[in-house]
Amino acid sequence: MNNTELLAPVGSFESLMAAIQGGCDAFYFGVEQLNMRTRSSYNFGVDDLPNIAEIAREHNKKAYLTLNTILYDYDLRLMQEIVQKAKEAKIDAIIAADLAVISYCKKMGIPVHISTQANVSNIETVEFYSQFADLIVLARELTLSQVAQIIKEIALRKIKGPSGNLLKIEIFSHGALCMAISGKCYLSLHTHNSSANRGACIQNCRREYLVTDKEDGFELAIDNQYIMSAKDLCTIDFLDKIVEIGISVIKIEGRGRAPDYVYKTTKCYRQALDAIAAGSYNQEKVKIWIEELATVYNRGFWDGYYLGRKMGEWSAIHGSAATQKRIYIGKGVKYFTKSGIGEFVVESHALSIGNKIMITGPSLGYLETIVDEIRVADQEVETVKKGQHFSIKVSQKIRPSDKLFKIVDS
Amino acid sequence: MKQFTVTQQREKCIGCNACVEVYPEKWRMSQKDGKATLVRAINKKGFYSTTFHAHEWKAFNLAAQHCPVKIINISSKHD
Repeated sequence: MNNTELLAPVGSFESLMAAIQGGCDAFYFGVEQLNMRTRSSYNFGVDDLPNIAEIAREHNKKAYLTLNTILYDYDLRLMQEIVQKAKEAKIDAIIAADLAVISYCKKMGIPVHISTQANVSNIETVEFYSQFADLIVLARELTLSQVAQIIKEIALRKIKGPSGNLLKIEIFSHGALCMAISGKCYLSLHTHNSSANRGACIQNCRREYLVTDKEDGFELAIDNQYIMSAKDLCTIDFLDKIVEIGISVIKIEGRGRAPDYVYKTTKCYRQALDAIAAGSYNQEKVKIWIEELATVYNRGFWDGYYLGRKMGEWSAIHGSAATQKRIYIGKGVKYFTKSGIGEFVVESHALSIGNKIMITGPSLGYLETIVDEIRVADQEVETVKKGQHFSIKVSQKIRPSDKLFKIVDS
Repeated sequence: MKQFTVTQQREKCIGCNACVEVYPEKWRMSQKDGKATLVRAINKKGFYSTTFHAHEWKAFNLAAQHCPVKIINISSKHD
């Protein structure tokens, strides 16, 4: 009976394949400059829309397009072009916050999802947006009981979207959180003229700060210098409660992150949702999932605002607290289909038998394996170094666009 | 007379309007694709450039400083 949809972040073709392999039900992505990851991720162009929609259909996944920045007058034509092209390509929905986008989508007859950037936090606002959208992403700052109350009230009031079905609710389940209410932070704009609300956040909050008393110049000692850097949201240990209150979609944040992050987070949440459906979800499994989630980029985990924390929990590190890191080794050369062997060239560091590796690529997605045999010119060797061509057994086709990394403990 | 060249890597523009705000005589927001357009610039492989004289240096430099994605570059050349 559990049919909560798992929505994965996609910032590149590598991540798109990784999300599909990880077992997402749907993915979201941005094109051109009108989305919230204009700065941090490679962005697709409008010309990529048919290709992305085709990949989605081929794998039976839904594709949602983010178009959720603040818009100025001169953006309107590009916005309209993006919506038109998305409709032609049969993209499943557009995630929007600005009313110009929302009303244009309605006019064009393409489903719209209300972005978390719209900060929907109460039932009246939910009811207002129901005239435009069948799904609303709630503000990330609500507690789980507030979310539950909204879902209950939707059923009581029989609030329906344009499709005639009961309104659906989506929440964030994993990934980075802001120190401010989403979409209401102006730090980056003030210091670097770089607006977070145009997708160009420079993440000032993730840095170390000293507090100085301007009158006497004394610097205040603060236990944790990262006074504004929120830890990453992780809900896998109470995902059963999220499913139970009737959430329709859970979203993983991270369009700016690497394919290994996309693959592992998607996979863990897929397994967790499946376990909940099968009645086999338990805390032992949660422990394993959390360990796996900690291997990819993270700032340490907390449960966000869902369980009613009054104050945020601040990360104590700069960058990632991931328990593993990847070292770039080299790229793919060719693949021998009959023997299932991939040829690579080492461009940095060295690779030895027993090393754990990952391979990512726009068609391949994400592949993790352990090296058990290395061959150079058909001779078995222990180690290969920079400049050498070598071949190893791989279960999928290797292309020159694929990158090979060594995974080591950090 | 000392000449300067201003170059914009237009593809990376996020359309924030900052350059237009500081020097509207030489920057326009394109209604077509929402990106900033440098007036009378020549396009070489995505890099749009034009030359200007010293009296414009302050305004172009301000545009370069205010650009959040740092795609505006100023160089000087003697002729």
